[in-house]
Amino acid sequence: MVVSKKTELKEGDVLLKLEDVHMFFGKVCALSGVNLEIRKGEIHSVIGPNGAGKTVMMNIINGLYRPQRGEVFYKGEKINHLKPYKRSELGISRTFQKVEVFGGLSVLDNIRLGRHIHYRSGIFSGSCYLGKTKKEEIEHRKFIEEEIIDLLEIEHIRHKPTGMLPYGLQKRVELGRALAMEPELLILDEPLAGLNLEEVEDMARFILDINEEERWKVTCLLVEHDMGVVMDLSDRVLVLNFGNTITDDTPEAVQKNQDVVNAYLGEEDLYSTRR
Amino acid sequence: MSSTFLPCGKYHEKYSQDHSWWQTTFIKGKMIALFAVVLILIPNVANDYWLSIFNILGYTILGALGVQLLIGYCGQLTLGHGAFIAIGAYISSTLLVAFPWPQSFHDMGIAYPISIVIACIASGFWSVLFGLPSARVKGFYLILTTMAAHFITYKFILEQCAVSFTEKGNNFSIPYNHTKLGPWLVDSISDVYYLMIIFVVISTVILANLIRSRVGRAWIAIRDNDISAEVMGINIVKYKLLAFFVAGFIAGLAGVLVVINAHMFNIEYFEWFLSLWLVGIILIGGVGSIHGVIFGSIFMVIVMELLQTGVDYLSYDIPELLQQYQWHYLAAKLTNLSTAFNYIRESVFGLLICVFLIFEPHGMAYRWQQIKNYFNLWPFSY
Repeated sequence: MVVSKKTELKEGDVLLKLEDVHMFFGKVCALSGVNLEIRKGEIHSVIGPNGAGKTVMMNIINGLYRPQRGEVFYKGEKINHLKPYKRSELGISRTFQKVEVFGGLSVLDNIRLGRHIHYRSGIFSGSCYLGKTKKEEIEHRKFIEEEIIDLLEIEHIRHKPTGMLPYGLQKRVELGRALAMEPELLILDEPLAGLNLEEVEDMARFILDINEEERWKVTCLLVEHDMGVVMDLSDRVLVLNFGNTITDDTPEAVQKNQDVVNAYLGEEDLYSTRR
Repeated sequence: MSSTFLPCGKYHEKYSQDHSWWQTTFIKGKMIALFAVVLILIPNVANDYWLSIFNILGYTILGALGVQLLIGYCGQLTLGHGAFIAIGAYISSTLLVAFPWPQSFHDMGIAYPISIVIACIASGFWSVLFGLPSARVKGFYLILTTMAAHFITYKFILEQCAVSFTEKGNNFSIPYNHTKLGPWLVDSISDVYYLMIIFVVISTVILANLIRSRVGRAWIAIRDNDISAEVMGINIVKYKLLAFFVAGFIAGLAGVLVVINAHMFNIEYFEWFLSLWLVGIILIGGVGSIHGVIFGSIFMVIVMELLQTGVDYLSYDIPELLQQYQWHYLAAKLTNLSTAFNYIRESVFGLLICVFLIFEPHGMAYRWQQIKNYFNLWPFSY
């Protein structure tokens, strides 16, 4: 069964759905019966204390882990059996908590790699580098330069090896790489961790841009510990604790929810912002 | 700003300029000069001894290109590349001499090209076969599976089975009138030189083009970070096997050259040391760079030739001199040196790798880059 990318969804339709997902590592239960519905066009956040199962959930959506029980639906079709690279062809892209850029490649090549699924040349046309490959490389270069590099403001580093860049820029390159795939669902696993205030503001701006701009309109799934940003950006927030869902609601409701306050936010006004 | 160093005040205006190979007139001139030296100067000036050294250099470069592709670009550690060179050499030579070609095929020069192509494809698939474990194992463990490839190929297939495959066995010479590529009879050492140049240029161009297009980027992504590569939509197993295939194919070409350079097939050349030797070459030249392959090969081949000359001198000329002065004991000791040349070669090889890993861990290609940068920026250091 192949899920077609053609399926057009209207804003507000369910894009991705997790149904009763269980994940165990040996006897450790990482997720027990989590349900999630991500609607097209929204920013859906996942919060919770360390070890709550947030990243496990991302890996399940992404295909790096297979849940022992439960189903993952994308555009209404089951994608449990699909490998990560197949899922990326459907339009699921992600960034990682610990930056996982390709350190040996230049920034430009990293972003080109994000477009891997849109390139068509194979081993024969690639080895000649004539006609098809040459034309394709120029086309994609144009896209990358005009859409991605311009958006993320990384013109000055495009030829630098990514491994040598400071952490904040690596995170930005990683976002660029994920975005270059032109995904419909973008999983952002702690995009703000380890960034300074200015970089956090930039990154939050980029996330809003790619979510709201007519050109992109990417649905985002955001895992983040910075409550100020989460509460400001998100349309809905899912709170996890030890693999269990505490609540899945609007940011305002989540802040008032007593269980959430007990488990994660704390009594103080901590969630207002880190500023 | 461009990825290559442009003269002050020059900028690219099109992406195609930035993607092209030779971006400045200086580089163009340099490359044309290089081709002139390689294609015109060397064959006219060098004697047969030096041409045969260049031929050795040629197949060393081809072998090391494959290792570079696997280790340097795709991150698949391999210590069995000699096996694929051996398969290329064995199949191309056995097909040529033992297959019942009609005489007209030999006359028209079809038999040899066909056996070359079949040999390369076969060694490509042989390589894929032993690359299959890479789908499951990584790094150190893959070294063992590729070493297994070498021992299976060398000890089992070539040493034991080859004798029963054809009556030629595993040690035979190739008739000079058989190695005919179309109308071109490749028999003299300078013919082999031109054939070597063609193979090396084609393989280098193919590899360099692959590295800057979709397939090569996928390989580098797998080397740097296989998990995020898979998430970015790269079918990891497919691309790893593709890397093994291309590396095996180039190794097949190297094997063809090994055979035709000596006009015989002899399994002793394909000892396991060959695989280690190729890995050493890319360590010395620089991992992850095509320049590194060429520098490393030139360095190692020349060093070994100088060493051979030096040892010969020490073990023949000096003892004669010593005999005249009645220093028989010392003369006898020195004469023994030539029989121990293999040990000397191996210990020098080990020493060189140690020296390079300590003092020049990025290899000669990195130093080359530094020197180029120095002159590009001269007289300002940054």
